[in-house]
Amino acid sequence: MLSKQIPITLTVNGEEYEVKVCPTDSLADVLRERLGLTGTKIMCNQGECGACTVLINGKPMLSCLTLAIECEGKDILTVEGLADAQTGKLHPIQKAFVERSGMQCGFCTSGMLLTAKALLDENPNPTEDEVREALAGNLCRCGNYKRITECILAAAEMMREEE
Amino acid sequence: MSEEFRVVGKRLPRADAVAKVKGEVNFASDIQLPRMLHAKFLRSPYAHARIISIDTTKAEALPGVKAVLTHKNVPKVHAYAVSIPSHQRFEYLLDETVHYAGEEVAAVAAVTKEIAEEALELIELEYEVLPAVFDKEEAMKPGAPLVHPELGTNLAQCPRSVNGMLPLEYGDVEKGFADADYIIEGIYESPLQHNVSPEPRPVVCQWVGNELVCWTSTQIPQAIRDELAKCLGIPLSSVRVIATYSVGGYGGKQPGKIVVLTALLAKKTGRPVKAVFTRAEDFIATHRRIDAKVYARVGVKKDGKITALYTRMISNYGRDSAFGYNIPANSAVTTCSMLYQYQNSKFEGYHVITNIEDHGAMNGFGDPEAGFCIERVMDEAAERIGMDPVEFRLKNCARYGDKGMELVGVAFGPVEWGVVGPDIDSFPECIRRVAEKARWEEKWKGWGVPIEVRGVKRRGIGIAIGMHHCLSRTPDSATVKMNQDGTADVFSSDPEIGQGIRTAMGQVVAEVLGLECEDINVLLADTSVAPYGYGVFASRGTLAGTGTVYRAALDVKRQLLEIAAGRLEVEPEVLEMRERRIYVKEYPQKGISIAEACLAGFQITSTARAPYPWVDERTGKKVSPVSVVATIAEVEVDTETGELTVLKLTSAHDCGRAINPTVVENQIDMSLTLANGWVRTEELIIDKSTGVIINPNMLDYKIMTILDMPKMQDMQEILVEFPNPWGPFGAKGMSETAMTTAAPAIANAIYNAIGVRIRGDHLTPARILEALGES
Repeated sequence: MLSKQIPITLTVNGEEYEVKVCPTDSLADVLRERLGLTGTKIMCNQGECGACTVLINGKPMLSCLTLAIECEGKDILTVEGLADAQTGKLHPIQKAFVERSGMQCGFCTSGMLLTAKALLDENPNPTEDEVREALAGNLCRCGNYKRITECILAAAEMMREEE
Repeated sequence: MSEEFRVVGKRLPRADAVAKVKGEVNFASDIQLPRMLHAKFLRSPYAHARIISIDTTKAEALPGVKAVLTHKNVPKVHAYAVSIPSHQRFEYLLDETVHYAGEEVAAVAAVTKEIAEEALELIELEYEVLPAVFDKEEAMKPGAPLVHPELGTNLAQCPRSVNGMLPLEYGDVEKGFADADYIIEGIYESPLQHNVSPEPRPVVCQWVGNELVCWTSTQIPQAIRDELAKCLGIPLSSVRVIATYSVGGYGGKQPGKIVVLTALLAKKTGRPVKAVFTRAEDFIATHRRIDAKVYARVGVKKDGKITALYTRMISNYGRDSAFGYNIPANSAVTTCSMLYQYQNSKFEGYHVITNIEDHGAMNGFGDPEAGFCIERVMDEAAERIGMDPVEFRLKNCARYGDKGMELVGVAFGPVEWGVVGPDIDSFPECIRRVAEKARWEEKWKGWGVPIEVRGVKRRGIGIAIGMHHCLSRTPDSATVKMNQDGTADVFSSDPEIGQGIRTAMGQVVAEVLGLECEDINVLLADTSVAPYGYGVFASRGTLAGTGTVYRAALDVKRQLLEIAAGRLEVEPEVLEMRERRIYVKEYPQKGISIAEACLAGFQITSTARAPYPWVDERTGKKVSPVSVVATIAEVEVDTETGELTVLKLTSAHDCGRAINPTVVENQIDMSLTLANGWVRTEELIIDKSTGVIINPNMLDYKIMTILDMPKMQDMQEILVEFPNPWGPFGAKGMSETAMTTAAPAIANAIYNAIGVRIRGDHLTPARILEALGES
């Protein structure tokens, strides 16, 4: 049976979207299936892997465990919104991941980038241990952890230089 | 190292990097089509049962349900994505008899995932439960329940097997053992491991007229195409499989059954259908690494020379593995027969069928399973004669000219004996360099002496060596096509699964044609566009896949040079291609742009085939190139809690030539990380009485997190570049080799730390405490 759908407004990457959602719809499903923002990936769909991480009001959240209906009025940032919307210029974290091959298959990458952004927004000069701690909930089956750490530290440096 | 090259050997960004950081890569699970339906599968709760009745009336009546498939209305065909002609097949697409807990018994397509799930619950089934067996040794006993009664045994058969045993022998092992000063023997185990591909298995199927288009995530798109055509009874020209970007498979991305079922649902409903497994389904219903038990007996002289090795390997094959004997026959036997200069060697392999889901390919394909055992017994041998374990390996590691197999593929024989190829002579260099980097001489304090003891915490160091073939003896073809603006398109059937093949192919073509990487568009794994190739598995992507692209590029270069020579009125030999131009070497100003040559030569294209088999020039014999590795681990063990910390991993690899060193290092890290998870934290728990998987989730099946792995400076990859005579610019496959060594290196380091050997399958705190308790 199709459950009753409720209209809500979601603010994603600075744009407002009017969507109808079921109370049980996860934010991940709504982003991917309704808004076509498939950069957010679903690996476990039960909060174990971090792949679906998005930023909600600047904080990294698991979109598979977040109900879309709870996100009204909040700022949601997905991987599609990381680069500069006007110029298309990559965010320094993206740039570092490109330059230093921070990804292999790329399925955990969106979650890694957004978790890293939340970390660097709060702590612009993290130690390696602080980066590792921040990424502890983001699983990479390709075992690219060393390179990912290197990328995030390089991005932090780029961001400090830009300021 | 690669100063002579302009593009090859450079740490360039990956070709897919920008798309991946922007979330622009569409994987199969991202695809949405108009009017698309969603498929869900009903699974058997029993490990072995016959369906007495199945009633789908209520499910079909549920609003939103568009089709239901059961064994009654699907073709009676076998559906496996890997076509090994001599492989025995027992099960049908949807079968009246189920052979493992979780096997598909019905498929539903509905307008939403939720409705499809609800429909599954309305299907009424009655089963007759049959006796089942899960343990490999139980299944070998007389009177054990038969998984496939029509076979009359649970021992898998292949052309060379004798009463279910696969033999491989050279020299005279009895004499070898008689010549030995010491004989060391033991039983070693290696555990099952699930691939845990990040993207749960996805398929989208759409019929366009008589053409079936199928998007999926796979390592073997052409085999999926073959399987679809065969099962649906349609010509290959009517099937298009697209797997351009596939998510890491680690050997596991070979969907067979669900691809065919999804195609049938799409056919029946006349609408596109999408099926994406849940994470639990992915754990339950996809193949994983075999678990194995190896009895090993090694004879050794006081001076450290090995005189003989006997190995008897029993491995769990699951219900109907698509790979059958290939795991012991292609790989495990390599480690058991060729890793060291054994002089005399005898291997006996048993592959046992049980009522659990297939055990099949996973990173290393048998060599890690064998290596985890062999490298622990070799450590014991070195200890018995009191020799430094690094020295022992330097003395005995395989060398050029040793007895070796001309071609792997022992199962289907006859076995052709030749010598190990010259590419293996990098082994001592790998061992020396890893020992130097890991500061072995300073840290190794002798047998029985840990690096350091601080209260209950003890630190130890250990080494292991390993090898894995680069399965190049398989067909491949690729096309390089010049565009009229001087850029190039490359078509190959090998998908990008994260290993970096798209980048490697681009760098190789740019190098050959004097172009920049951004001029090359590598289009992968679209079966209606790319010529036939086997796909990416068995570390074949570099030698076979990229090697074939290299040959096509060379032919395109020849054509372009001919055109330019005509234009410039010179001989092609005096020309050079660089910086998008073709010019006279001596007078660089005399030349034309590659774009001009392309316009003149409308249309310049070349399709090349993989040149195999490879022949060793010295002996004239066919050889299988192998890549080799040496890894040193440093660990800390808390003897009170059993907690194990892997402090450092140093790994030296012969990759022939690193086309892109960053990509190669990342692949080494992948294998090291997979190997750590395999023996340290990953444990798929199968209920002993029902065969049901108890922990099909990523919380209870723990893969390595960043905190489990050493810090940046403590993960060291060393690239040893001995140009391989057969590879593109000397490169060869290496993506699975590290998997063979990290686990035994850690086990040997644990022994150095605590003085107790663990011969079992896991190196978990519980097993460490158990071992300490027993001592």
